[in-house]
Amino acid sequence: MNTDDLNFAYKVRHALNDKLDELPASTTDRLAQARKMALARKKAHVEVPLAVRVVKTELAAAGSGFMSHFNWLGRWGMLVPALALVVGMVGIYQYEQQERIADLAEIDAAVLSDELPLDAYLDHGFNAYLTRSE
Amino acid sequence: MATDKELSDFLENVERRAFKQAVYAVRKDESALDIVQDAMIKLAEKYGDKPAAELPALFQRILQTTILDYFRREKVRNTWVSLFSGMGPSGDEHEDFDMLESYAAEEGSEAAESGADKFERQQTLDIIDAEVQKLPARQREAFLMRYWQDMDVAETAAAMGCSEGSVKTHCSRATHALAEALAAKGIKL
Repeated sequence: MNTDDLNFAYKVRHALNDKLDELPASTTDRLAQARKMALARKKAHVEVPLAVRVVKTELAAAGSGFMSHFNWLGRWGMLVPALALVVGMVGIYQYEQQERIADLAEIDAAVLSDELPLDAYLDHGFNAYLTRSE
Repeated sequence: MATDKELSDFLENVERRAFKQAVYAVRKDESALDIVQDAMIKLAEKYGDKPAAELPALFQRILQTTILDYFRREKVRNTWVSLFSGMGPSGDEHEDFDMLESYAAEEGSEAAESGADKFERQQTLDIIDAEVQKLPARQREAFLMRYWQDMDVAETAAAMGCSEGSVKTHCSRATHALAEALAAKGIKL
């Protein structure tokens, strides 16, 4: 970047800084509030007596274990219903297939156990089959 | 290690610029405020014990990550919303986003003040602000970190997760794009 570009960039910077002064009070208040909140969180790490620190660490470990378990649940929370849905769909498909096979088997059994229709004896192929089987 | 005072001063110094950076990226004031708050809390919680000199680069990195997280969440949310809402009218505010409208809406605080110079200066600032927002995201990030947040090339590269050469390229392109856009509108800085 040459000097002209740098000058230009710094003029833009100046303009952007000027624009910052126009932020509404509600926004600056909210930012100040957020800053205070962040600083309060930092205070939690301030030096504490050793005994207290040990207890705190243990509690934090227990808490974080619980929380991580909870996070884990949250993260997989979407997957479990999706899996249940897939398993359900596969189950329904299998059930329908079984039903269809059972229906076909019933029809086959009915056809096989019925007496032969008269037309069957007019069929040359069938006659040939009968003579061969005799 | 940064003292409470140092951290507080740093956050106070950077919070408004961080907010504008987030607004440039997400285009929603409320979301930008949430992002800055999250970034501040993460910095204080996780890196509050770092030396004060390291805070700017760390904060920028956290801010960029938080903005990315926001976009990821939005993407997931939009996927589910579009999945379940079906044929409803499109509610994507980014599609018909009109820069001028949003900036017109933000104005008003200085309505009482008048005068041609004041008005012209105000207009110029608004146009510069809008043109910065129109820059491609990576160019804008590099430009703002280098020239607004006073970060050096190495820090900017680390925060953006790219090479120093890329940072220089982004900055140069952003500067030229801005200069051209402003010149086209008759603004000379």
